[in-house]
Amino acid sequence: MPTVPSSADLLAATPVTRPLGAVPALVALLRFRLGGRPLRLRIAMGLALLAVLGLTVLAAVVPTQVDLPADLIPQVRLYLPAAVLVFLLTSVVSGVSSGGGRELLPADQAVAFPIGSTTDHLASLLWAPLNLAWLVQAWTLVASAAIVGGRGHLGATVLPMLLWVAAATAVAQAVAWGVEIVRQSPHGVLAVRVVWGVLGGAVLVASLTGRAVTAARALGGSLIAGTSSAGSEGRWGVWLLGCVAIVVLGALAVWGGAWAAGQAARRPPRSQSTVETRVYAARPDTRSDFLAMLRIDRASVWRSAPLRRGIIFLAILPMLVALAGQLRWETIPVLPGLVASGVALLFGVNAWCLDARGTLWRESLPVAPRVALAARTWVMVEMLLVSGIATLVVCSVRAGPPARVEQLLATVVAALVISVRIVASSLRWSVRHPYAMDLRRARATPAPPGVMLGYSARLALTSSVTGLLFSAFGQTLAWSWSVGLGALLLATSAVSLVRTARRWDDPVARAVVTRTVSSL
Amino acid sequence: MASVEVTDLVVRFGTVSAVRGVSFSVGPGRSTALLGRNGAGKSTTMRVLAGVVPPTSGTVLVGEHDVALDPLAVKRLVGYCPDVGGLVPRATPWEHLQLSARLRGMRGWERRGRDLLERFDLDGEAHRVTAGFSHGMSRRMSVALAVFHEPAVLLLDEPFDGVDPTGVDATLEAVADARSRGAAVIVSTHLRDLAVAACEEAIVMLGGTAAATIPAADMVGEAGDRAYRALLG
Repeated sequence: MPTVPSSADLLAATPVTRPLGAVPALVALLRFRLGGRPLRLRIAMGLALLAVLGLTVLAAVVPTQVDLPADLIPQVRLYLPAAVLVFLLTSVVSGVSSGGGRELLPADQAVAFPIGSTTDHLASLLWAPLNLAWLVQAWTLVASAAIVGGRGHLGATVLPMLLWVAAATAVAQAVAWGVEIVRQSPHGVLAVRVVWGVLGGAVLVASLTGRAVTAARALGGSLIAGTSSAGSEGRWGVWLLGCVAIVVLGALAVWGGAWAAGQAARRPPRSQSTVETRVYAARPDTRSDFLAMLRIDRASVWRSAPLRRGIIFLAILPMLVALAGQLRWETIPVLPGLVASGVALLFGVNAWCLDARGTLWRESLPVAPRVALAARTWVMVEMLLVSGIATLVVCSVRAGPPARVEQLLATVVAALVISVRIVASSLRWSVRHPYAMDLRRARATPAPPGVMLGYSARLALTSSVTGLLFSAFGQTLAWSWSVGLGALLLATSAVSLVRTARRWDDPVARAVVTRTVSSL
Repeated sequence: MASVEVTDLVVRFGTVSAVRGVSFSVGPGRSTALLGRNGAGKSTTMRVLAGVVPPTSGTVLVGEHDVALDPLAVKRLVGYCPDVGGLVPRATPWEHLQLSARLRGMRGWERRGRDLLERFDLDGEAHRVTAGFSHGMSRRMSVALAVFHEPAVLLLDEPFDGVDPTGVDATLEAVADARSRGAAVIVSTHLRDLAVAACEEAIVMLGGTAAATIPAADMVGEAGDRAYRALLG
C-alpha cells in the first residue's frame, strides 16, 4: 500500500480552474468588496438601503394621499415627458464624464483577478444608483407619475416609471461605453467634444425658442409618460405594450453595453496617454513656498483628464439648465452650492489623494504643514469659485434684474457661505478619513462609492438648505439679515477650518493620512 | 556633517508594533544598510528618520535635532527616497526639483538638476509628468531627488527595486559621492549583494527589531548569504 501520494494523486489534487460567468463573477466581487467590513458598517449599509426603498415608496404614495394644488397636476403632466428625457440625459452625462461608469474594484487591484468586461459593465450598472443626483431624479419621476395618475391603480402608474429608470440607466451606460470607444480612437476626443457641442447647442436652441417640451414629446418622452398614464386610466393594452417596450429597450441596452464595454476595454487609454506623454514647459521659480506648493497642486488638478472633464461638465451643465429653464431669483441661491458640491466630490473630499504615492515625498519636504494645507485649501477654493461664479453670472443674466436688491445680495452671500462650508467639510473629511485612491483613471473616485454617496448627500443637503434659507431672506427680509446670517455661518466654517488645521499640525494624524494615501 | 543616532525606537500603528526597540547609529561619511524581510520594520524606521512618521517612543537624533521635537529641522538635513512611488503623479521631474530647490532655499540649482537627470538617464523625460514613468524610472527619479540638495543625511529606501544596471550604478555612485562629502547614508533594501556594494555595515532587522549588526564584508559571497539566511531564520 503506497504511503506517499503518487504523481497522479498530486495531479488530481491540483485545483481545477473554470471561468465564471459574468453574474457569478459579479457576486463574487461584491462579496470580496463587502466582506471583512465591520458589523457596524454593514448594518449602516443595510439601513441606508432600507431608507432608499422607503423613500421610493413614500415618493409613490405621499402624492396620492395629500391634497395637491389644482394647477399642479396639469403642470406636472406637461413637463413629465421632458423630465423623463432629462433623467436619461443626466445619466448619460454622468456615465460619460466618469469614463464609462464606476468600478467595483479599482483598476490596480482588479488586475489580479480575471474580471471580464461584461462583469465590469454589470458592476457599473449596479453602482449607478449610488449617486444622489440619480436617486433624487428617480424619486422625482416616481412622485410625478403618482401625481399625474392620482389615487387609481397606483402600482400600474408607478411601475412603468420604475422600469424606465432602470432602462434609461442601462441606455446611459451603453452610451457611455460607446463614447469611450470613440474617445480612445484617433481624434476621438475632438469628435466627442463636437458631438457634445452640437447636442448642447440643440438643447439651448430648443429651450430659447420655447420648443423644449415639444421636442421632448417628439423624442419619446410622451411614450413613457403615456404608459404611466395608461396604467392609471386602466388602458391595459397600451400599458402592457409600453411596459414590454421599456423592458426590451433596457435588455437591449444591457446587452449592447456589455458589447461596447468589451470594445472599450480593448482600446489603449489614449486620452490618459496623451496627458502623460505631453511636454510641459518649465516655468520660472515662484516667489514663495506657498506658491510653489500651489503650482504643483494646480498641476495635479488640471493635468488630470477626469478632473478637468468633471469641472468643465459641472461648470457647463448648470449654465445649460439656467438657459433652458425659466429661472427665478428664488431658486438661484441654491444652484452655486449644488455645483460647488459636485466640484468638491471630484477630489476635495479626499484632498490628499491628489499626490497619491507622492505624498510620502511631499511630507518629507522642509515646509510647515500649514503651508501644504493652505495650498490644498486654496486650489479647492479656486475651483469652487470659478464654477460658482460662472453659474451665478449665467443664472443672473437669464433671470433678469431681481425684484429686490436684497435678493442679489442674498445670492452672493449664499454662494460665498456655501463654498466656504464645502471647503471646510471637505478638508475635515480629508484629514479624518483618508482613502488610498488613484485619480489617474477617468473611472476613479476619491473615495469608495458608498462613502461618496454619503458625502454627496451631506453636501447637497447643506447647500440646498442654506441656499433656500438665503432665498427666503432675500425675498422677505432686510439686507442686514442675509449679511448677519452669512457672517454667522462663515464663522462656524472658520472654526471648523481652524480645528482641521490643528489636527493637521499633529504629526501622528498627518502620518496616518500620509501612510493611508500613499499605500496604493 | 550630521550623524544619525537611534535609541530604543518604537513605532506602533494602532495595535500593530512596526518597530520594537531598535537602536543604532551612523556617523558622518559612513553608510549602513538596513536588511531584512518584508515587514521587518525597515521602511518604517526610514520614515521616522525622514520626519514623516513620528516615533511612538525612543529617541531619534538626526544631526543635533530630535525628530519628535523638530521634524522640520530634520527634513532640512535629510534627503529621502521613499520605498513606494515617491513622486507626485502629475508633476514633471523638473517641477519636483524646482519645488525641492524652492523649499530648501537653493539658488542656481538648474545645472545640478540637469546633471542629475542626465546621470540617472532621465534628461529626456524632464518635462513629462511622472504618472507615465515605469517603476524603474520612478525609482531613479526618487534617488535623484534625494541626493539633489547634497543632504547631510541620505536615506534611500529600496532604491534598487526594479532598477536597471545603469540605474544601479548611478545610485551606487550617488551613495559614494554622499559619503565622500561626509554625509551619513542609510540604505534600506532586501537585496544583500547591493547592500554590501553600497554600505560598510549592515543591520539585519527581524520582526521590528535589530537582530544583528555586522560588517558588510562579512556578508559577501556564499558564506555571507548563508550568514544572512541564518539571521533571517
